[in-house]
Amino acid sequence: MSTQRPERLELLQGTLDLLILRTLIFGREHGQGISRAILQTSDNELLVEHGALYPALQRLEARGWIAAEWGTSTNNRKARFYTLTKAGRKQLVQETTQWRRIATAIGRVLGPESEES
Amino acid sequence: MRNLDDFREEIRAHVELEADRLREQGLSLEQARAAARRSFGNVAAVEERYYESRRWVWLDLLAQNLRFGLRMLRRNPGSSLVAVLTLALGIGANTAIFSLLNGLMLRHLPVRHPEELVLFGKGEWGGSANVLPNRNWQLFSYPGYRDFQRKNKVFSDVAAIDSILFTTHGRVASAENLEKVSVELVSGTFFQTLGVNAAIGRTLTDADDVHPGAHPIAVANYAWWKRRLGKAPSVLGTPVTIGKTTYSIVGVTPPQFFGAIVGQSPDLWIPLSMEKEVSPGWNGLDQDLFQSLYLFARREPGVSIRQASANVNVIFQQMVRAYAGTEASPKVLESISHAHVELTPAATGLARFRRQLAAPLVILMSMVALVLIIACANVANLLLARSASRQREIAVRMSIGAGRPRLIQQLLIESGLLGLAGAALSAPVAWVLLRLLLSMKSAPPALRVEPDWRVLVFALAITLLTVLLFGTVPAFRATRLDLPGSLRAGRSVTGGPDRNRLARGLIVGQVALSLAVLTGAGLLLHNLINLRNVDTGFDKRNVLLTGVDPAGAGYHEDVRLENMMESVEERVDALPGIYGAAFALSVFDGGGWTDSIVVPGQPPLQQDVTHNIVGTHYLEAMSMPLILGRYLTARDDHDSQKVAVINETLARTYFPGMSPVGRTFSIGMQPDWQGLQVVGVVRDAKYMGLQEKQQPAAFYPHAQHWSIVGNFAVRLSGDPKLAIPAIRKAIADVDPNLPVADFTTLEEVVNRSLASPRLVAELSSAFGALAALLASIGIYGVMSYAIVRRTNEFGVRMALGARRGDVQWMVLRETLRLVLVGVGAGLMLALILNRLMTSILFGLGPADPLAIGAAAALMIAVAILAGWIPARRATRIDPTVALRYE
Repeated sequence: MSTQRPERLELLQGTLDLLILRTLIFGREHGQGISRAILQTSDNELLVEHGALYPALQRLEARGWIAAEWGTSTNNRKARFYTLTKAGRKQLVQETTQWRRIATAIGRVLGPESEES
Repeated sequence: MRNLDDFREEIRAHVELEADRLREQGLSLEQARAAARRSFGNVAAVEERYYESRRWVWLDLLAQNLRFGLRMLRRNPGSSLVAVLTLALGIGANTAIFSLLNGLMLRHLPVRHPEELVLFGKGEWGGSANVLPNRNWQLFSYPGYRDFQRKNKVFSDVAAIDSILFTTHGRVASAENLEKVSVELVSGTFFQTLGVNAAIGRTLTDADDVHPGAHPIAVANYAWWKRRLGKAPSVLGTPVTIGKTTYSIVGVTPPQFFGAIVGQSPDLWIPLSMEKEVSPGWNGLDQDLFQSLYLFARREPGVSIRQASANVNVIFQQMVRAYAGTEASPKVLESISHAHVELTPAATGLARFRRQLAAPLVILMSMVALVLIIACANVANLLLARSASRQREIAVRMSIGAGRPRLIQQLLIESGLLGLAGAALSAPVAWVLLRLLLSMKSAPPALRVEPDWRVLVFALAITLLTVLLFGTVPAFRATRLDLPGSLRAGRSVTGGPDRNRLARGLIVGQVALSLAVLTGAGLLLHNLINLRNVDTGFDKRNVLLTGVDPAGAGYHEDVRLENMMESVEERVDALPGIYGAAFALSVFDGGGWTDSIVVPGQPPLQQDVTHNIVGTHYLEAMSMPLILGRYLTARDDHDSQKVAVINETLARTYFPGMSPVGRTFSIGMQPDWQGLQVVGVVRDAKYMGLQEKQQPAAFYPHAQHWSIVGNFAVRLSGDPKLAIPAIRKAIADVDPNLPVADFTTLEEVVNRSLASPRLVAELSSAFGALAALLASIGIYGVMSYAIVRRTNEFGVRMALGARRGDVQWMVLRETLRLVLVGVGAGLMLALILNRLMTSILFGLGPADPLAIGAAAALMIAVAILAGWIPARRATRIDPTVALRYE
């Protein structure tokens, strides 16, 4: 998409859900805030495509992992805020563990970092 | 579910929040807004994705597709109508025949746990078997029933039901006249074993079936209660007088219960203990070998049919050995060692005629299934042609981004609409056909054919199947195309060789299937013609028949009965224009008494003889020509030598190479039926139906065997209808209480006996015609289309000097080739399918050359006609126009 700058990493499929859940662990947040938070915490490496973000939020809400309500932002704008539910918290733990295992495994397969350029 | 506006609001908030952030970084309001919007990307695309993630989106799309589909169908009203009608006929015919099959073979009795019920034997015999059991046995005596009930360890209950439905006459409540009442005699355990409770009052119990003649009660059928008593709530205690006994109604069955015998629904159920009262000429509660009952039982939970069967057969063998007695010869012992009982599941009820009725139904079912496939092929062809002409539309839609799945869905929905419309229209088709089928003479009067879940599932399933059959291939084919080519070309690319091959394949298939149906129809027609020309062995003209009911009028088998019968015969005989009047135990196509005979000094033959007890002039009245000896005379009375007149087959079988006159034979053990002397031989005739194999038969005067008979036959000259009042009066003069049924002519009875083969032949011919018509529509469509495509080529050929005849022959030759391939395949199919019919064919093999030849000739003729019309059109092409065609 036009907004994606080439130097940034593309999100692996399925990781967006995990990142959203992780971001919400610090408290309620709206869509724009989630997208900023992911960008910032990833040292500007991960840019969330908005075309994917909102359907993902929709999906997580439908599964009951996050809940949503309209509220007011710090600069007094009306926004839709998302919070993590109990089920979402459980799901986060599960997915985090799984992701760590995958990352480690892939790391092992790829070998020590020094061999890469 | 969130609505789209709420979602838009969220996106707007997002963009504003982003703009706020950018302004904090020092951008102007305008710049910040523009940048925020830019960084968000395509708002519409996000909204669309959101929209598509919603759960009901497919419903929206479906509604769109439906609207579009309806529009497309309306745009081609002619071909859509043909398709819908074709499908309606196909689906309707299938549903109707399936409803009958369902009612006859699949439907469970409306009783508690029907799957636990088992029948002793197959329940195909009827009447009474009076010999020691010596094979797979089906009928049982009352003492036998009680033995099984007492000794078995596998059933929660055993019940008995008389194999004969007694149609007698009785007086209901305080009615003036005798009226027809049908009675099923059942054991007291009947309703409990079935698990049927009374809707009003009570059913029977074992305590109602203890002392012969001491339980004058009856349970009324709901249908009879409704029809005869108008659902009077005061039904309990209503008296019904049959013969000399008055029965009191103690209960009414629930509305859904028709009885345990499929297709037979009596008015009243009366305990078997009243057998002698209900049917004076047919009883033997205390006789071990008066085996006239069907037995059925309910298995204890957890008992398999095999376990039950083992237990039953042990009891049966002990029972039969006890019947044979201690002094039985080794030969008898050997013979009874073959006696056994095969338990069959009885969840669908008892049906004595199930096999006999099932054969024509299975044949018709196969035929309509083939017709439906042919119909599907036609609709598929139609859709192929239609999608070919829509190729440009489809190409345009695909090139501007319509997904292939969406297009396939769209095309399948159009097929689905056709299918649904066909299914909706098929309901009246099915209804009409069902009425027609139920008017079959052999159709049981009380078959439950109203649609149940099985019929509904069946109709839905075949509709779905047809949609898939005719819709899938065209849909996939239409959306698989070479885009640039289709867009560029006007029409020349449409179809293409591939489509053509498919269309031709469909034609070959259609011709083959049609030929199979036509051959079947031809076979059944030939069969009907054969049956019509069967030599009956009697003169069916100028004979009146009627039914009488001496038992209903209170007669017993004694001299009073005999005197009444003789007076009636004398009085009717004395009427002007009457040449012979006689009572008879059975008349043509009215069932009969069959039993083996024993000729002294000869080993018994395993062949049943058809016996008839008749008035003195019966044989003359029937015009069965005398070949040897003499007819019965008035001198053959109660005190003289017991005599018999036999037919040629009996003479040939039992008295080979000698004159039978003067020889004797006997039936069973009853003293009345020993030493019967043959006094005459008459020509062979048909007795129980035109299709029967030649039976040995014998006739006995009722003067020597006082017995209740149910038929009266009169030969007369002049208009039979005019003689009826006089005959009625003559009978009433003797006994005004004797119920006399409506009169029919023997000719009508003979014709009516052919009603069922005639209807099956007519229906199959109709299906055959339909199949041929559909196939020719298919041929016509494909060939017309092929000619339109080749207009250019024909123009060139004719411009180069080809004559009209050449072009015509070229087109026709192609049709002919397809048809001949189809006929070849069809013949093989027909030979296989026709084997289904052997059981109902009379003197014909499945490979009847006449039927096959006629069917093939008809098919080829129809196909050539269907191909010739478009071929002729090809020759009318004006070369100059044709060359400019594209």
